[in-house]
Amino acid sequence: MNEPRNEEELARQAKALFDESVDRLDAATLSRLNQGRHEALAELERTKPVGQWARWMPATGVAAAAVVAVVMWQGTPTEGPLPAPDSATDFEILLSEDNLEMLEDLEFYSWIEPADLAENGNVG
Amino acid sequence: MSARVGVFAVSCSREQPKGAMTLQRERQLNQFLAGVERRALRFAEIAVRDRDEALDLVQDAMIKLARNYSQQPENEWTPLFYRILQNGIRDWYRRQAVRNRVMVWFGRGSDADKDFDPVAQAPDPGGRSPDEQLQTQEAMHQLENAVGRLPARQREAFMLRTFECLDVAGTAVAMGCSQGSVKTHYSRAVHTLRDALGEHWQ
Repeated sequence: MNEPRNEEELARQAKALFDESVDRLDAATLSRLNQGRHEALAELERTKPVGQWARWMPATGVAAAAVVAVVMWQGTPTEGPLPAPDSATDFEILLSEDNLEMLEDLEFYSWIEPADLAENGNVG
Repeated sequence: MSARVGVFAVSCSREQPKGAMTLQRERQLNQFLAGVERRALRFAEIAVRDRDEALDLVQDAMIKLARNYSQQPENEWTPLFYRILQNGIRDWYRRQAVRNRVMVWFGRGSDADKDFDPVAQAPDPGGRSPDEQLQTQEAMHQLENAVGRLPARQREAFMLRTFECLDVAGTAVAMGCSQGSVKTHYSRAVHTLRDALGEHWQ
């Protein structure tokens, strides 16, 4: 082998030797390299970027749940008066003192009603 | 309603090319790694002078490239890969330095360098006479020793420029320095090697 006379020649000889040493790698080493490469590609599979839909899915779900919660909370008072006051009024009427007296004199009222009809000649 | 169906259909139709693109990227990465792995191994082996360690370093570099830089343009992979590998080699040297200090503290030195024999490690090539084979192996042994004795930055510059044929810009990316520094390190490395190998390469 000739002595390198300049930088290019030294680099050329060094690269030729390096390339040859690469070509001389044994089968066991090549097999291990192959295994390492496939492990790296498996890593690529594990870190595969998710699709646009999947990427925004958690945020979309949280936002949708928040909207539903706000609508349910805000929507309830806008539906108008509750039936509760009406029921309370009915109870007031039923439980008023006059009505209780009417119930006690039920026989009197049942007698006076046909008599009233006979006198006035109408049901009004 | 039909507009919603249309939007959904468009969204779904976009997923298909994305999967195909990922597969294509995986094939490209496989092809790149298959093309670079042998040279990377020898590169790392010359630097750390141990084949098992070099295999681990190359595998780590491949995994890190796949994990962090697979979405980068393909033409950037080579300098990025060698940058990762270089960083791994530097970390390996740091760990070795710490380990050696600990071993010295406990009264035991490292025999790894003394036991390393690149000629014995190299497999037998075919198709050449034993004399030619021996001569080539001896030359490679001398080259490895000379390159191994270079300062780290000069070694990196020389190996990346000469063995991997990276241009100055690519070498600068791989080394994480300026192009001017690459030229300086490379020039000094070549001068040192020329002086060191001149007496052997005859």
